[in-house]
Amino acid sequence: LKLAEIFLGILTAVGGFVDVSELVFMSQAGSRFGYALIWVVVLSTIGIMVFGEMSGRVAAIAKQPVFNLMRNRLGLRLGLITLIASFISNLITCAAEIGGVALVLQLLTGAPMRADGGRRHRRLHRHRLVHAVQVDRAKLRPARPVHAGVRRRPRRHPPALGRDRRRPRAAGSARTLQPRPDRLRLFRGRAAQRGDVPLRDLFLFVGRDRGRMGSQGPRNQPADHHRRLRRSARCSPSPFSPARRSCSGRPGSRPRWSERWRFRPGCRSARSGSCSRLLGMLFAIGGAAIETCLANAYSLGQFFGWRWGRHRPPREAPRFTLSWMAVFVVALIIVLTGVEPVELAEYAVVASILVLPLTYLPLLLLAGDRTYMRVHANGLLSKTLGWGFYALIVVAALAALPLFLLTSGGQL
Amino acid sequence: VKASASLKLVADVRDLQIVDRDERNCGIVDDIELAGKPGGPLEVAALVVGPGGYSARLPGWAMRLVGWIAGRSAVKVPWDKVEGVTSVVHLNVAAGEAGLARAEARARRWLPGRG
Repeated sequence: LKLAEIFLGILTAVGGFVDVSELVFMSQAGSRFGYALIWVVVLSTIGIMVFGEMSGRVAAIAKQPVFNLMRNRLGLRLGLITLIASFISNLITCAAEIGGVALVLQLLTGAPMRADGGRRHRRLHRHRLVHAVQVDRAKLRPARPVHAGVRRRPRRHPPALGRDRRRPRAAGSARTLQPRPDRLRLFRGRAAQRGDVPLRDLFLFVGRDRGRMGSQGPRNQPADHHRRLRRSARCSPSPFSPARRSCSGRPGSRPRWSERWRFRPGCRSARSGSCSRLLGMLFAIGGAAIETCLANAYSLGQFFGWRWGRHRPPREAPRFTLSWMAVFVVALIIVLTGVEPVELAEYAVVASILVLPLTYLPLLLLAGDRTYMRVHANGLLSKTLGWGFYALIVVAALAALPLFLLTSGGQL
Repeated sequence: VKASASLKLVADVRDLQIVDRDERNCGIVDDIELAGKPGGPLEVAALVVGPGGYSARLPGWAMRLVGWIAGRSAVKVPWDKVEGVTSVVHLNVAAGEAGLARAEARARRWLPGRG
């Protein structure tokens, strides 16, 4: 029974905590900084554990869920501000996750992500001017603005360095600054070391260039990888469907990002490994999308005192049920407008950082209140860790928005 | 804390969850109505539940927005229907009897018949 509980706990952790935001930010940080920021993952995991333990303890002893508590402690005005900010953040996250599910399904089945096969999306991007900064490895210099989504002639690109001579350089790319992507080999596994389907493609999938993902690979990628990609474009984008030609393979042509997720023909282990990875991502992001939908309904239910809880039949908690349904529909509409899920995830993460100190503080105060919590109030260790992490998230919240604006969403 | 005991109204009661006789959530204490005469004792008359109770607590523009989204209705629950106050406010009647089941009933109409 204990083993089953542990297994259930792991499943919950994966379903509840690993979502599209983690995949996006971890991958971006990994592609830019390698293992230099791995300590952040460890530190934030401890932070989540502290927060989770305190939330559970308060809910069990004081019988007050977080948003109920927040309203009681912060008052109506500040409580409403926090609720609205949290709602928007969750809504954007939910939209990003629904988009993420669509992306993974596209990779698995080869079906178009949007009903119109992405034509409208490409049309939208064709006219979108992206002011990117092109960074040379030898010397930093600003680059010309680049039209995203417009097919560019190869001759317009400045010559690339080293092994990347044959292909257009990445413009405005975080990947231009990748120090050593080969370090990622640890994550890729043995199949990846044989040069089959590296996790690097996952980095492309969630990478900085988003819509431009298909045309430019990481700068340090071997040139033969590109030739292989072009050759493998003759395969189906789906591991389950028969082979078909989907990419011209011409020099300077822009295969879609999904076409980069290729499998070397005849390599079953790579195919099954990649399918497993994609299925894992599908379940993680799908589960997180459901959780985020429900989270918004929980917030509303707790803040306004409705009957709530997913275990309740819909007619017993009608406002709660209608809320999560409405959140799902609105999030779906956001995705259908054609906005990039990865971009949404970035906005969602920034919004959630801004709101975190407001949701964390009432919990921290109540967890340390001996009137409510009695013997279960925060001890020395919980208090130290709790306030330490609170100081950390306040600094992060204060720095998040200026950094986001100054770096153009982390592109510089 | 018993309903008859002295308590800090704003800190201890306002913005607390209300639970009915059957332990069902039925709203939040949005405001408190007091009754009294000059020179006489001040007594709690009722709990005000619903967006109409925000009017004294939010600025005018915010109240207009709330009114546009959720309406301005408010239900007054007489204080004698309060059983006690812990981390929630316990009522001694069912939510329907206190007039706190209307919004749920309206929302229920949007859902299919079974579930």
